[in-house]
Amino acid sequence: MTPPRGAGRAVWAAAPAPPLARWLGAAAWFVAPFAILLLVWEAAVRLGEVPLRVFPAPEDVLAAFRQQVATGALGRHLWASLYRVLVGSTLAIAASVPLGILVSTHRIVAAVCTPVLRFFAVLAGIAWIPLATLWFGYGFGAITFIIFNAVFFVVTYNTILGVRRIPTALVDAARSLGAGRWQVVTEVLLPGALPNIVTGIRTGMGFAWRGLIAAEIIATNAGLGYMLFLARDFYRTEVIVLGMIVIGAVWVAIDRLVLAPLERRTVERWGLARRVE
Amino acid sequence: MSRDAVAPPLPPPPLAAVRARLAASPAVRTLAPFLPLVVLWAVVVELEVFPRAFFPGPLDVVRAGAALVYKGILPVHLQDSLTRLATGAAVGIVVGIPLGVLVGLHRVAYRLAWPLVVFFQAIGDIAWLPILLVWFGFSLTTMTVVIVYTVVFPIIFNAALGVRTVPQDLVRAAQMLGASPLRVLTEVLLPGALPNIVTGLRNGLGYGWRALIAAEIIVGTSGIGFMMFDARRQGSVVEMLLGMILLGVLWSVVDGALLTPLERATVERWGLTRRVE
Repeated sequence: MTPPRGAGRAVWAAAPAPPLARWLGAAAWFVAPFAILLLVWEAAVRLGEVPLRVFPAPEDVLAAFRQQVATGALGRHLWASLYRVLVGSTLAIAASVPLGILVSTHRIVAAVCTPVLRFFAVLAGIAWIPLATLWFGYGFGAITFIIFNAVFFVVTYNTILGVRRIPTALVDAARSLGAGRWQVVTEVLLPGALPNIVTGIRTGMGFAWRGLIAAEIIATNAGLGYMLFLARDFYRTEVIVLGMIVIGAVWVAIDRLVLAPLERRTVERWGLARRVE
Repeated sequence: MSRDAVAPPLPPPPLAAVRARLAASPAVRTLAPFLPLVVLWAVVVELEVFPRAFFPGPLDVVRAGAALVYKGILPVHLQDSLTRLATGAAVGIVVGIPLGVLVGLHRVAYRLAWPLVVFFQAIGDIAWLPILLVWFGFSLTTMTVVIVYTVVFPIIFNAALGVRTVPQDLVRAAQMLGASPLRVLTEVLLPGALPNIVTGLRNGLGYGWRALIAAEIIVGTSGIGFMMFDARRQGSVVEMLLGMILLGVLWSVVDGALLTPLERATVERWGLTRRVE
């Protein structure tokens, strides 16, 4: 069954490629644009007369990367940011999913809560920064609060939306088969709302990540956002660019490697409510 | 049509009917849920659970708002924020839609541009602020660039997605009937991609709004975000709360009265591709 080694490249274009070759192809297509961008960047620095202090060259950024890794600064900032997102979102998810389901089991309560939640979901994140710093001081408390906020309202809102989209026939069916209240929650409502919940988590964490960077610029002494702003104070543009690349890469990694597969799998497994949309 | 066909004056509607009509009006349904919240807020403040300086009541906020409007401070900030958002949106649309369509049209362009679009979207608006501050200083340019940047990528992303998801059969059918490439573009691809483009616009503006607030907080010359952070410096919680409420209300109005109907109308009119998703 397995194709002979080396055959992969020969038949690449014609036959369906073996997994490794296909993976390599996808990787090449993914890397190529960045390689081109890098070349353009390098060329722009070489040909243009921009001062390097204002517009760093790729090798400066690479040197900054080596230096920041060697001193351990990059690792420390990265870890500080990730830790905050982890704590804030975990707390928020743990609080919002039960609350969302509780609220949505009652029709009138849900109708009352939805506009309020939507309002706060709009505010989520950055708008809380001034107030959060006043309430919790500059530091871990304020930032966790901002992340919590960004995730909490979006996930609660989506949970309610998800429960509402479950066809009543399913709940009725479970009840007529003798399911108690608790069983309806755990076996119908929660699984039925899961696709929406996961979508909410993905959106909320997207906001949280942006909010985190903004909050770190303003309100702390560690983290990627702080690294950027500190570098700005010293005019170290190569460190700023490095920080931007890390921020983008980390979010792409979280989103593509953790959240997107999670969402896809949940929708595939429990996605009955998605069709109702 | 005789004159005496005019209906006799209606008897005063019974209470139940009034209640039903009130409950049916969207304004009441949206606003009523906030009443208990405001009452709860007022009660918590009156009970002095938190020190009043940190947690002022709704009346204080209204009074502060009235004073700021009377002094002419609030309208100016509001106007600045909205003008910036409108500029960002306009430039974002003008640049984003053609780019997105171009990227979506060509297979190689699509494969090359896609990872870059995802990556640059992930870097996020706020992470650009430090280097923009180095490049353009604390100026309007910095803020405009941040907003345009934030608005443009979701539009490119979704426009490209929209063009890609127009069913090939439709394109072929149009070509069969003798449509030139230009007509395929204007009569098949663009209308087909329109629902996605509008979704992108909505997402982009949602992100742009938040980015604007963050930019105003950090760059700080005028605008609602600046007003809030200025209040933070003076420890004036009332103005911070006022700013947050304004942000929430403004975005709810823009989103609810402008973008959501636009999206719904577009999806209803041209929404054939939505099912492909």
